[in-house]
Amino acid sequence: MGPLITNGIISESTNLFLAFIIGIGFGFVLEQSGFSSSRKLAGVFYGYDTVVLKVFFTAAITAMLGLLFFSLFGWIDLSLVYVNPTYLTSAIVGGIIMGAGFIIGGYCPGTSFCGASIGKIDGMVFIGGLFIGVLLFGLGYKLWENLYLAKFMGSPKVSTSLGLSDGFFGLLLILAALGMFWVAELAEKKFPREEY
Amino acid sequence: MRPLKWLAIFIVPMGIIIAAVPQNTTKPYKLTAPQLLAEANNRTQYVTPETVADMIVNKDPSLQLIDVRSQDEFEKFSLPGAINIPLTDLLAEKYADVINQDLKTNVFYSNGTVTANQAWMLTRQLGYANNFVLEGGLNYWFEVIMNPGKPVTTSPDEEFARYNFRRSAGSALGGGGAFQAQTGQSQAAAPKPAVTTGPKKKKVAGGC
Repeated sequence: MGPLITNGIISESTNLFLAFIIGIGFGFVLEQSGFSSSRKLAGVFYGYDTVVLKVFFTAAITAMLGLLFFSLFGWIDLSLVYVNPTYLTSAIVGGIIMGAGFIIGGYCPGTSFCGASIGKIDGMVFIGGLFIGVLLFGLGYKLWENLYLAKFMGSPKVSTSLGLSDGFFGLLLILAALGMFWVAELAEKKFPREEY
Repeated sequence: MRPLKWLAIFIVPMGIIIAAVPQNTTKPYKLTAPQLLAEANNRTQYVTPETVADMIVNKDPSLQLIDVRSQDEFEKFSLPGAINIPLTDLLAEKYADVINQDLKTNVFYSNGTVTANQAWMLTRQLGYANNFVLEGGLNYWFEVIMNPGKPVTTSPDEEFARYNFRRSAGSALGGGGAFQAQTGQSQAAAPKPAVTTGPKKKKVAGGC
């Protein structure tokens, strides 16, 4: 049955419409969970508020479990699901830049729009920075093209690289996530902050 | 109880279940044996010689004739525009793009229909679409397109129309006698098999 678009069950425009609805829902939940506050977001790096880690990791393992069960029931053909190709060097470099920007700016790209939409000025400044970054990347593309395209690995899965079944790796990931949540809650107790 | 414990109570058993069950490796596009049998019984794989002749005469770019006989036989005689993929080489990697595609109408042919049907069945079992078999094979092709028999005078008009089409198509393809087409040549041609467009992977954008 699934994926719905690739199997022609819904059209491209229906897909965009659904994406629009889901996008609004995503933004709403982000705002309601307090993700429009840069202090709350930066808290994950200082240990006083780890809600970002908990929300995103819970979302990831929920989606992972959902896909695995859908595949088990034959509702989705996982081999047709698009997986972003991995360019190892740019993934690492990009991760460092993104992480540094996250700590300094207090937002990630999605949450900066969330903050800006409720009138937060720091969110708007962050979006400005985003566009400057995109512009610089585009203008200087020739300079970092080699770095950008280095170490292409296709679309590997961690489970296949480790020789484990998808389901077993899923269980390990769930246990790792729960362990992280436990450590995160300890950190919240250790570095409490009253007002932020 | 703390939310973390609630989460753990719900999600850890789910993880254990998914780790314990075997992975679903069935591909929905592969046909099961009963499905394949049903298709073979419905004769959906056949394309009539008239349709093929019409497509050849009209130089239909979507037609791809595939000769599944040996290379020797192919060199002695082949239909116009046909390519040779001997049945023994059908699954060779260099032909993968030919038999698994969603642009053209592939028509397998052999002398009879046995070899062509074997090729069709293999590709169909693999889930490839748009592969067909020339009905009756080359023997039937010669019988009806190259040397069509004149119908008896009491035959219905359709029979004569089909005969005229066959003769004109046959002469255009270098067989039969010279013949002036009296009716529209595509009159008797059956509808062309439809090309099904396969699922394509699409890029999605997303992220935090």
